[in-house]
Amino acid sequence: MAAILQGLQFYPGDSFIHKLDPRAKLLISTTFLLITLIYVEVTVTTMIIIAEALLAAISGTMRRWVKTVYGSIPFIVAVFLMNYLVRMLIPGQPPTHIILYESFAAAYRLIALLASFSIFFLTTTPEEIGMTLTKLRIPYMYVFAFISAIRFTPILAEELQTIMDSQRSRGLELDKGNPLTRLRRYIPILVPLIVNVLRRSYELAEAMEVKCFGASKKRTYLKELKLRLKDLVVIILMLASISISLYFKFINPIKIP
Amino acid sequence: MIRFESVEYIYPNGIKALDKIDLEINDGEIVAIMGENGAGKTTLIKHLNGLLKPTKGKVLIDGIDTRKVTVASLSKKVGIVFQNPDDMFFSENVWEEVAFALRNFGYDEATVKRRVENAVNFMDLVNYINKSPFTLSGGEKKRLALAIVLAWSPDIIALDEPTIGQDLLQKEKLLQVIKLLNSQGKTIIVSSHDVEFIADLKPRIILMKRGRIIADGDAEEIFLNEELLRSCNLLPPQLITLSKELKFIGVKPKLYSPRELATEIMAKLQR
Repeated sequence: MAAILQGLQFYPGDSFIHKLDPRAKLLISTTFLLITLIYVEVTVTTMIIIAEALLAAISGTMRRWVKTVYGSIPFIVAVFLMNYLVRMLIPGQPPTHIILYESFAAAYRLIALLASFSIFFLTTTPEEIGMTLTKLRIPYMYVFAFISAIRFTPILAEELQTIMDSQRSRGLELDKGNPLTRLRRYIPILVPLIVNVLRRSYELAEAMEVKCFGASKKRTYLKELKLRLKDLVVIILMLASISISLYFKFINPIKIP
Repeated sequence: MIRFESVEYIYPNGIKALDKIDLEINDGEIVAIMGENGAGKTTLIKHLNGLLKPTKGKVLIDGIDTRKVTVASLSKKVGIVFQNPDDMFFSENVWEEVAFALRNFGYDEATVKRRVENAVNFMDLVNYINKSPFTLSGGEKKRLALAIVLAWSPDIIALDEPTIGQDLLQKEKLLQVIKLLNSQGKTIIVSSHDVEFIADLKPRIILMKRGRIIADGDAEEIFLNEELLRSCNLLPPQLITLSKELKFIGVKPKLYSPRELATEIMAKLQR
């Protein structure tokens, strides 16, 4: 679980990918997303994952990217089992090996989906994500809430650790007893965590008010995003990939092994 | 007795927080761990009850290896009072908050009642037992945090930065409590960079810097070594500085209490 969060956090870098315009990067991830959604075939998914691995390698985030993929395995297994079990229960389904194959394909696609956005988050600062969202005409109020959420995640994780340390020092044993009593043992962890979060958000709200947040209707920005030649090349490439995928899927379908 | 045998600790993110720590703390000692932020004080304290287990080397509490027992069983012996009380409160009222740990440790209700009463009396919180812990003031919260630990009466009490955000009166009260607990035979470990507070306590001082122990000695010895203190971004306590300034009338630089220094000055002046 924590591994996935790590894979969605920004890590500074100086690669070609890091320097791309965030909108171009978002389009790369979206393209991968669309292609994986359009095609269910394992071969296509594999190609997408290979392409993502290449991007991860270029951006120098390979290790963290692999961690995200690795951390997503529990979800993948869950999706596979759910698909398989549910379809086994419904009458009138194709033979078992086909269900197995299709359940696998569905779970496998999930890896590609997660992994594509992992590259985006690994190489894009919260600030850049914010700028991208503003460019997409999302009101700054929401953008700010979103980037604050991203920024505070590591702080929250640290605080959770401190709270767990405090309560364990008071004799709280989290992994003792049956699942139900175990759940109740999390109350001493969750209450301080929530109280601290609320307190922090009030403090943040006050600090923002002091700085006149939202005082002027029209906001200007110190840094503006500008598309350069390489960004445009990437955007054109991605749009082309999407068009080609759509073409071969719907207009002139081809058989994929 | 606490023994650290060449302990090294590396956090999952690769930061080495403790490096070759060899340390022995005897029963009944008062020890202050000093050093700037990030020196490794809190990491060291978290090793006392097994919250953190050494990456290399071992920590022994009364001969028990911390890697081999649970945090809960060690906590009965070593009570840690953490820096920020807000990280522990969750109960409806002060009474329940103090009782929580006692119940975890499996005391029967009669003992829980007696021990909670003792602890709130001792820390002067009797008037607050029905109040929510969240409504207490900063100083009261710190007192409650200490009462919670004192309730199960551990042999070793570790306080992480107990003076942060406390006014002088609270610090004075805390000082009395620490001295009283020590006189009852408790081992006290205080991590702090509050030089004046530690000077009043006159403990054995362990000076840490970047995960290593760079000095270990009695308070006077450490506080007189200004160069050493400055290398840890600490300044000597005012009374040491004053006694150094008074050299010209023949006062010997020492860690005096205010009264001792006053007597010394009078003696030198009358001569």
